[in-house]
Amino acid sequence: MEAAVWVIILPLLTAFFLGISKLYFKKILFPLVTGSAIIYLYLLISVSTNSYPPKVYSVGGWGLLGINLMVDPFAAMFLLIIAILFLPVILFSLKYIKIDKHDYFILTYLMIGGIAGMVLTADLFNLYVFLEVTSLSSCALVAIKKTDKAIEGAFKYLIMSTLGSFFILLATILTYHLAGTLNMAEIALEFKELPFKLKSILMALFVFGYALKIGLIPLHAWLPDAYEDSPIPYNVLSSGLVMKAAVYALIRVLYIIFGIDFLSESGMLAIGVFWGVITFIIAHLLAFQQTNLNRLLAYSSIAQIAYITIGLFVGTDGGLIGGSFHILNHAIMKGTLFLVIGIFYYSLSAINIKDIKGLGYQFPIISFTFVVASLSIVGLPPFNGFITKWLIIEAALEAGFGYAAFFILVGTFLSLTYYLKVIVTLYTKTEKKIVIKDPGLSLRLPTIFLGSLCIVFGIVPSLPLSLINKIPQFLLDHSEYIRILLGG
Amino acid sequence: MSKINERLKKLHTIALVVALAVFLLVVVYEIHNLDNNSKRYLSEHYISEGVRETGAINLVTSVLYDYRAFDTLGEATVILTAAAILSLLVPVSKATMLGTKFSIIVYQTTKFSIPFLAVLGVHLIFFGHLSPGGGFVGGVVLSIIPILLTITYGVEFSESKLKPAKKKLVEDIGAIGFILLGLLGVVTGSNFLANGQANFGPGNTGELISAGLIPYLNVMIGIKVGAGLAIIFNSLIKEK
Repeated sequence: MEAAVWVIILPLLTAFFLGISKLYFKKILFPLVTGSAIIYLYLLISVSTNSYPPKVYSVGGWGLLGINLMVDPFAAMFLLIIAILFLPVILFSLKYIKIDKHDYFILTYLMIGGIAGMVLTADLFNLYVFLEVTSLSSCALVAIKKTDKAIEGAFKYLIMSTLGSFFILLATILTYHLAGTLNMAEIALEFKELPFKLKSILMALFVFGYALKIGLIPLHAWLPDAYEDSPIPYNVLSSGLVMKAAVYALIRVLYIIFGIDFLSESGMLAIGVFWGVITFIIAHLLAFQQTNLNRLLAYSSIAQIAYITIGLFVGTDGGLIGGSFHILNHAIMKGTLFLVIGIFYYSLSAINIKDIKGLGYQFPIISFTFVVASLSIVGLPPFNGFITKWLIIEAALEAGFGYAAFFILVGTFLSLTYYLKVIVTLYTKTEKKIVIKDPGLSLRLPTIFLGSLCIVFGIVPSLPLSLINKIPQFLLDHSEYIRILLGG
Repeated sequence: MSKINERLKKLHTIALVVALAVFLLVVVYEIHNLDNNSKRYLSEHYISEGVRETGAINLVTSVLYDYRAFDTLGEATVILTAAAILSLLVPVSKATMLGTKFSIIVYQTTKFSIPFLAVLGVHLIFFGHLSPGGGFVGGVVLSIIPILLTITYGVEFSESKLKPAKKKLVEDIGAIGFILLGLLGVVTGSNFLANGQANFGPGNTGELISAGLIPYLNVMIGIKVGAGLAIIFNSLIKEK
């Protein structure tokens, strides 16, 4: 299981070597970045296919005295998302990013290392440390263009994300004080005897902190600004991985440490579902008013993550499967959409909806990819978004959240309106526009690859589902997870 | 009208702070009422077995560089990220040098104290596992040297003596070295960042070369933190 720790340290090592190459050997950027990304792809796939039964890796060999990493199906699913997104985005960025190329890749690799750490760790403080690595490098990537808008967005992001970190750190400190340990399994055992009131307070701190990072309404204000003028390949990673990592960490903390019994007893599950419904309704309505495509997709991300929240907070097997599958699908769909916008921006600097008028005839394949991904994100068959929305609705109905299922259908129509608006503009005939730069194959191929996955996972959902079906076994009932982590 | 609004805003802030304070007081009070002295076995284990298991007399070091060394890697990465961000986003603009004139006493004192600072920093790093100190503290003390140079003699002089690229190189070497030392544990058949468990020979506890890899890890963190903080300082200041 050495591979598990390599998943975290390979991106970090690459980032450090890139730091040296920036000073002395500028030319090795390309082989270093692509080579490391390809090895990383292999590592991720080999770790995530070896996740059943879950394995524990003890850093430093200290067992319960030190820090443990754990690869269970939920973590494996997340590593799979990194595997799908990372190489296409790196290839895309190699051509797309022109200024501060080295810094961009250093920060991206640091961010990926942080995300991998958050996903694999089974230690509460270690989770916080990697959360900080992730948020800090993510904030810097927002500002990397150094325009006024980018700096403003990054500043808002930094303030809000630091506030979130503060609450998470406070909760972590109190948890350590109460449980005397930071190992998630041991904390879970200690928490069984804790008074209800204290547990609720700790849970509220965790939920508030992570909700700030996820961007649930009304804690979302930083998010559209952070997306507006940031490099577009970063937006793919941000909506696909950074926000999802916060969702992942929240679910990990709630389900493993507090346990499903406490969650339903304290009403957290109902609150989560309700919060998700409010969030996606408002986000869809706000998305409808946007003229900037980046902002539109940002609001759409908030709404989609609300669907994920609903799925994960329903608290049944079906809900967890639907929610986790939607994490994967949303990463692919939103990745495709952002990459298409990236190509338009690269070749025509078109970023507003009115700028892309008629581009459907100039970029036929790319525009078709956009249509596929947007229909998929709306939730029409036979694409992958339909399947996960179906699973989430089914789970919500089964668990007795009928209103959530109903509003998801309403939300589908709302999202159809604004995505149709974009598609119609895309295929409205105008005079030909002058293409400044040809996007070339290195921008087109990653986009088409991700777009085709929308169809593949829509037609053969059993492909990822064989892994995702195993998630609830170790998440819904935490006793299995605890048993394995304690080494039983 | 606007005055009332401003006052309301202030009142609002005060009310929020008070509410948070009351909330935290209630939480602390609740925790205080619990009898959780029995839940200290982890820290008790560190205190009673730490010296024997890791070979480091300084228990903070044994936790930082052995039991929870992976966290230290993460924290060091945070400092490196911060330094990288600042040198990227806050470029030092070379303004015309008006000169910061101090009296000769200041210059002489600075010159005089630099060797002592260097010795103190290096001592803190190398004796981190034996006495209070360690890589982080030693690194901070070492970073004072370029900071002092910058304050008294100006950015240009300080950067001609210690080039920013060199500092960045040292920082990266520190970070890479930390990971490579961690990989030594893998090479010898144990786990990543293993030290006490990997039989690197704890040596005679109390000697300079003891406690396995901990002194070397300390050196790596020391140069990394020192270089990182120096970069951060020089990125943040501007000369007029």
